[in-house]
Formats: sequence, C-alpha cells, structure tokens
Amino acid sequence: MSLIIDNLTVKLYTNFKKKEFFNVADSVSFSIQNGEIISVVGESGSGKSFLGLSLMRLNPPYISEISSGSILISDTDGFEKIDIVKLKENQLSDVRGRLISMIFQDPNVSLNPVIKIGDQIIEAILAHKKMKKKDASDVAIHYLELMRIDGKARFNSYPHELSGGMRQRVMIAMAMVLEPVVLVADEPTTALDVKTSLQVLALIEKMRFEKNVSVLFITHDLSIARNISDKTIVFYAGQIMEYGTTEDIINSPLHPYSISLTKSVPALSKDYAPRERLFVIPGSLSQSDFKSEKCRFYNRCFKRSKDCLNEIPLLKLSSERFARCVNIQ
Amino acid sequence: MNTGKKPEVLNINKLSKYYLSYGSLFNFKRNIIKAVDNVSFKVYKGDIFSIVGETGCGKSTLSKLILGLTNRTSGEIFYKGNILNYNLKKLNLRKKIQIVFQDPYSSLNPKKKIYKIVSLPAIKNKIIKKKDALQYSMQMLKNVGLDEDYVFKFPHELSGGQRQRISIARSLSVNPELLVLDEPVSALDVSVSAQILNLLLDLHEKNNLTYVFITHDLRLVRHMADTVCVMYGGKIMEISPVDKFFDGPLHPYSKVLLESILAYGPKNILQFADAGNININNININAGTGKNRRGCVYYNLCSRRMDKCINNEPDLKENGDVQVNCFFP
Repeated sequence: MSLIIDNLTVKLYTNFKKKEFFNVADSVSFSIQNGEIISVVGESGSGKSFLGLSLMRLNPPYISEISSGSILISDTDGFEKIDIVKLKENQLSDVRGRLISMIFQDPNVSLNPVIKIGDQIIEAILAHKKMKKKDASDVAIHYLELMRIDGKARFNSYPHELSGGMRQRVMIAMAMVLEPVVLVADEPTTALDVKTSLQVLALIEKMRFEKNVSVLFITHDLSIARNISDKTIVFYAGQIMEYGTTEDIINSPLHPYSISLTKSVPALSKDYAPRERLFVIPGSLSQSDFKSEKCRFYNRCFKRSKDCLNEIPLLKLSSERFARCVNIQ
Repeated sequence: MNTGKKPEVLNINKLSKYYLSYGSLFNFKRNIIKAVDNVSFKVYKGDIFSIVGETGCGKSTLSKLILGLTNRTSGEIFYKGNILNYNLKKLNLRKKIQIVFQDPYSSLNPKKKIYKIVSLPAIKNKIIKKKDALQYSMQMLKNVGLDEDYVFKFPHELSGGQRQRISIARSLSVNPELLVLDEPVSALDVSVSAQILNLLLDLHEKNNLTYVFITHDLRLVRHMADTVCVMYGGKIMEISPVDKFFDGPLHPYSKVLLESILAYGPKNILQFADAGNININNININAGTGKNRRGCVYYNLCSRRMDKCINNEPDLKENGDVQVNCFFP
C-alpha cells in the first residue's frame, strides 16, 4: 500500500466569519497499491479536483481545511511512513515532489512562461537532492527522453515554443523526476487533442510499469477511465458513490448515478441507434446537494424511494465492490 | 442515402487559404502555410456533414471561410448556386448561414443581458423591430429549452450548458438554413453535452436545418452525422457515408483516427507511446509548412507509403460514394 486515505473530510467555508461551510470531501476512504491506477470519475463540480488537491495539501488556505482523517503515504520499501495531514506547513515541501506529485489540467497555464523548461525541471531536483547542476540536467534530459521529447534540443526552449502535448509531457517529466510514490493526475488530457491525449495516457501507463508509480487519475471521461485504470471511484457531491474494479463499474454499474453516467455517453458500441436521443441526467449538481441530509443524488435519481431520505452509508457488496445506495438488489 | 436527389446547399470548389509566416522580423524568407489546400466537397440539404481531424488540420479555418470571416486565397464557394459573397445585400447570406462557437464562455458579451444578445442579429437583419426584442427572445429561449426568466440575466449568471443554449438561440434567431457547429460540446461536461446534442438533433428535425459539424470526437460523428469528411494538413483525406466509414475506412489516416478512439473495449494503450517519436520530428507537417512538400501530405506518418507518394500528390478520387485521397486505398 503506497497511499491509504482514511475518513478524509475537507471543509470548504462559504462564509468564514459565520462559520458556514460544507464538506467538499465527506469521509472519503480508499487506498492505492504500488503501481496501481485508480481513476476518479464524476461531473464537474463534484469535488474530485478538490480531493486531488487535498492529497497534496494544496487546497486553498483560509477558505478550506482538512477537518479529520488521515492521508498515510509510505515509501515503496515501506521504510518511511508519513501522515500528510499532520505535517506542518514548512515540512510539506519535503514531501511534495519527493513522495507525491501532481499533473495539472491545463499545461498552458501550469508552466512558467519566462523560465526555460530545463531549468524548471532542475529546480525540483536541486530542491530535494544535493547535486551538481550538470548532473541534475543529465537527469532532466533523461526524463525528457523518457517522455519522447528530444531532451538535448528542447532543454533550453521556453514553454511557448512547445505544442500543447509536449508541454503536458514536460509536466509529467517534471512530476516524475524525483520518482515519487504517488502521482495525482488532474484531468491531464482534457485540454489536448485526441491523438496527443492518447500519447500522454500511454506515457502515464509506461511510468506505472517502469517506475512502479501509483496514480490517482481524475477524469470525467469514462472511456479514458475504462482504458487506463485498474479501479474506479465514482464521485458525486463529495462522496464516493461507487467503488470497484473498472471492468465491473463500466460493464455492470450498480449505483443509479454510475448507470446514468455510462448511459449519457454516445459510445461506439451500438447501444444507441443513430440520432436516438441520449440519456440525460435531469437537473444539475448544486451546492445544496453537498449539505443535504438525504442521499446526495436524491433529486436527480430515477430509482429514488422513501428509504433514500436518510443518510446512506457506503455499503460493502463484495471484497472489492462498494456502493452508496439502498436500492441495489 | 439518396443524396443525389437532395438539392445541394453548399458547393465548395478547389478552395484554398494560405497564410504567410515570417521566421523573424528581419528574415525576408517567407513560409507559406497551407491551412486549407485545394478542398472541394458538397453539402446537401438536411444533411449533417461532419468534418473530423486533429488540431491544426485546418477545420476551423474552413469554417471561417464558409462564414466569410477570412478571405480566401483561391477557389470558390457556392451557396445554392450563387457565389458566396456576404457583401451582396440582395442575397442576405448572414441570415442564412450562422455559427455556434466552441467556447460558450468567451463567445457571449459579458456586458449585455441575454435578451439583447439573442435579439441583436434579428434586429440587424430586420426580422423584428426593436420594441419586440424582449418578446422575441423569450420565444427563442423557449425553443432551446430554457426558462423565459433568463432574458434578464447576464452571461456570468449561467452555467456552461445554459450559455451554449444561449449561443444556439442567438444563431437560430435569424432562422438560418445552414448552421456551422464548431466543436459545440467539447468544452462541456458529460451529461450537459448529452443535453446539447439532444437539443441540436431536435432542432435539426424540427427546423429542417443543414449542419456542418466540426469535431474531433468520432463517437459523436457516428451518433449524429450522415457524411464524414476527414482532414489532415489542410487537405481532405476521405469523404464517405457514416456507415461505410465505421465499417472500414479506406485511407490509412482514417484508420489511425478510428483506432485512436478509446471506445468501450479493452485496448492496449501502451502501443501509442511511440506515436510521439514520429510527431516530434515532423511537427511542422501538421501545420503544412510546405517547402519540399511535393508528395502526399501524410507521407511521413503513413503505414502504406510507397516511392510513388514522395513526389506525386494524390487527388480526391471517387470510388462509389466514397472519395479517397490516396494512391493505394
């Protein structure tokens, strides 16, 4: 186990003075093994990006805080065990990058436009290791080449000289350069083209095999989750709605929300006749859903009944399958 | 499809658009970028004609040319037999051809209320008088499935899906015959995009519209379109009816595109990791900087390339109802 998240609850204040808040992540618990890819799927606004940020304690200060739970991260040898929640602010920079690192959604914004990409990668190495600058640049070039970028030629280029796919690959190189245990990928392919996004996915997969990194892959595209991940978490309004192996979730979803999600994608399989109207989840996700005492999907659910009016725990169906619904046979 | 019987709406004949690029301010050598190069196709009434291709293949330039937003270098566009000329008041083409843009966040004026945004094209084209604007925009909003109260709101008060509905309502306010959809759902969430697609299909049936549907998502093409047109490097690679295209495309590039969809089937992603090796060296081919380019545009990436393809340029050849731009289909 490289990452164990237990009962993680993150508060987001809507009004700090009056102490009004809601939980963007509500008692989330799961664990990732070494070399495993877990994807988190859900609509935008369901709090999945916030979950990714909280794992690195990058959640915005003052308006949000981790109120309970633990994020236990351990070395590949099991030699070092750290609870990220308990770390102080000045200890965090030691963990970020070395044990856990992140790829952000938009590569156009997440690179510094006035610093050469080589220098940006070296900065991460030199912050953690005592190394000569020349050795560090060799490491950086090696990682750029792993990412299929001509390292020596591109080392001195600025971000604007690269295409979107290359920038995202530089981001992955930057995240992987210290060989972290866990990689959080927050929609790394949404801003990219079909073919380049495939390549980025393939390189993440390659890192998993070669460097044995565990990946938390946040996405809203079920077909990406289907192809890349071993397990899938269906996330809605700050709660895990369903959790299981990806194959089970895509082929036989149990929770009404997962069923609706899989239905609303015009798949290449011939589920839909041409021009047949697609399935639409009625309504939209609102902030009040995060606070509701009922099942959080109650207002939009097609299976709702009287039993749904109470808070529903995450039910264990089998050793690897959990769902938060009472109407499952 | 008995496309032969339908009247043709748009007839594009050997259309080209070249851009000049300067290496630097003092470099007088000019590169010609062929964004759209010798493109011809026909769109028939009531069809959904989809243009597919990766970023930089010229599909957006083509949509700009159809709308008269840029000047063409050579070639002709005919709209119902007349040469497309937006300056001729007699034809009043702005009333007949409209566009829905990709990003609903940047295509609406943030300073104006919704009813002004929706009714302005109709007032300018003298379909309604200014005093009827409110009434008219309420009716337009009803058509796209929005509440009438929204007329007094500002764009920032609406969600992405609602904004996209507004921009569809704006385009429909002049009762166009041809609607160019430039990636209308790629900026939207899964369930919201399902709603918008349903709306577009409903409007297509109800108003007997013709769509030029520009996208990079082949899943949507299979669901919606009649005809697929694959573009690469400013050229058309293949035009074929949807059924035939998905049964087995003839052009090697179309095959690559079709394989790169992450459909609901297990697929070995790792095979795409090497896609980059070629891409890095030939990054310019996408944009089509054509100095030594006498042969086929797709030569460097092609799986079926022969010596003949280096120096000879294939033409779009008719092969039944499929048109392929390849010597060895």
